[in-house]
Amino acid sequence: MKTATAIEVRDLRKTYQVRDGGSWRGKTREITALDGISFTVPSGEIAGFIGPNGAGKSTAIKILSGILRPTSGIVRVGNLVPWENRIAHVARIGVVFGQRTQLWWDLSVAEGLALLRDIYSVEPERFKRNRDRLAEALDLNGIMDQSVRQLSLGQRMRAEIAAALIHDPDVVILDEPTIGLDAPSKLAVRAFVRDLRRERGTTVLLTTHDMHDIEALADRVIVIGHGRILADSPFEALQATTLSERILEADFTGPPPELFLPDGAVETERGTRSVTITFDPQRLPAPALVAHLSTFPDLGDLRIGRPAIEEIITRFYADHAS
Amino acid sequence: MTIRPYVTSFVLQWKIGLRYRLAVLAGLVAQMWFGAISLMAYAAVYHHAPDVNAPMTLRQAMTYTWIQQSFFTLLPLGCLPAIGEAAKSGAIVYDLLRPVDLWNWWLSASLARLLGNAIPRAVLLAVVAGPLAALVGLNGWSLAPPASFEAALLALISFVLGAFISASIVMWWNIIAARTLSPLGTYAVGTPLAVLMSGMLLPLPLYPDWARELLLLQPFAGISDIPIRLYMGMPIPGGVVAALGIQCFWLLALTMIGRFWMNRTVSRMEVQGA
Repeated sequence: MKTATAIEVRDLRKTYQVRDGGSWRGKTREITALDGISFTVPSGEIAGFIGPNGAGKSTAIKILSGILRPTSGIVRVGNLVPWENRIAHVARIGVVFGQRTQLWWDLSVAEGLALLRDIYSVEPERFKRNRDRLAEALDLNGIMDQSVRQLSLGQRMRAEIAAALIHDPDVVILDEPTIGLDAPSKLAVRAFVRDLRRERGTTVLLTTHDMHDIEALADRVIVIGHGRILADSPFEALQATTLSERILEADFTGPPPELFLPDGAVETERGTRSVTITFDPQRLPAPALVAHLSTFPDLGDLRIGRPAIEEIITRFYADHAS
Repeated sequence: MTIRPYVTSFVLQWKIGLRYRLAVLAGLVAQMWFGAISLMAYAAVYHHAPDVNAPMTLRQAMTYTWIQQSFFTLLPLGCLPAIGEAAKSGAIVYDLLRPVDLWNWWLSASLARLLGNAIPRAVLLAVVAGPLAALVGLNGWSLAPPASFEAALLALISFVLGAFISASIVMWWNIIAARTLSPLGTYAVGTPLAVLMSGMLLPLPLYPDWARELLLLQPFAGISDIPIRLYMGMPIPGGVVAALGIQCFWLLALTMIGRFWMNRTVSRMEVQGA
């Protein structure tokens, strides 16, 4: 049953007990993985869930998938509490952990999918329809009869995604689905996820370290760090607030001179023959900066671009960490 | 609740087991070898002390040994390898993501693994040690047929119970593997324990008087010792009812305590890392 709100998380906390020194004699210490996070994901939305390693992403994902029980807080996925109604809950979600395989090494892709049909009690006709559709969309027809151990990483990941979707889940959790993939495989996975949402209205929660995934897919970005939510906004809004900066790289024929930059521009890097300048076009329009730099006689080439999204996010984490 | 996923899990492990046909043959040769050595040892002992009133005849000891050897892979020697590996790699999370009762799901896989390993070997060994050995004139060394039709029927029921007891003990090893994130401990403890307590090393009826009845009461006796005694029509203290009763008791106890322990384990399981 679909509900307007696919995922609701309120004041979710999780603390782990760890023993120092790894022995039974060590003192136990409490580590807070999630320190009261709240967010909701409406049905049919693709939400990007990003944060550095150790931020609490995986903990949140595990709680949402019903694997882990939180210390406190409220979670509802399509009206079910994951850890209280585990079996009913997991029957309606699909999960891909990019670093682990859910298919059976000894079986072919087709055998694995047939096994999942029995596990999820998918009626034969629906199964055939879904399998054909997924095989088409994920380009699996050539590898259906190969055993999973023989697949390349890209092939395997496409098969993994098919395995997670064979039972038509309402909510799909993708934990780093593009990790380790080459560029064409990444593009194929992204195109598939986009189509999935458009055609079936599936709600997707996506974690990734690849900002291109976020840029290509996410309607909304939730940034998590130190167990807290640092930002939760539509992708465009995040882009507008943190991505307005521009970068200018200037090459010189000799060692770069002192530049006496006007307000709104900052020198961020100086090489033997080049300087990198970060500027805010609201305060200092690009033509004005270029005009200023043109006064230097040994100026060679100029390039203007947007900073890489990774860089912005890194800075974002650093700003909020303090 | 549908039974389909569990049947599927059973069939899957069964198929994987049968994929290793060479291992079946190699195992058969090893079991024949160990069986033959034990038989020679029993023969030597029995011929040296013909006056001692042994609890089993030489012929019974030989049949007991052949059946034990046949069902060596039915013993709970450790966790199910697939579960041990999944515990180590973290892929065990996918087992928790299936809409199935985890106990029945793992139990059906464990049972299939035990039977898939044991049945092909048992059939081959029964043919070689039974009619084939008799044909070539080794009649005194061969596997004797069941004592009676009734004994065969009781033994069959008892063997089925024994397989379930063994699978339930494997479930305990599975839980330990999931808790310790490694299958190794379960093999290190499970293999010697099962070999000793099941009567594989020395038939349980040949232990000293004071130990014999106690050994009958522990769960490993229910795997193959009790079924073999019923097959041979050996007297069991308390009779058939007690024999099957002990098996049912252990199956129930292992299941109930195991399920409780597993639920605790799962609710506390903290799969580390991404």
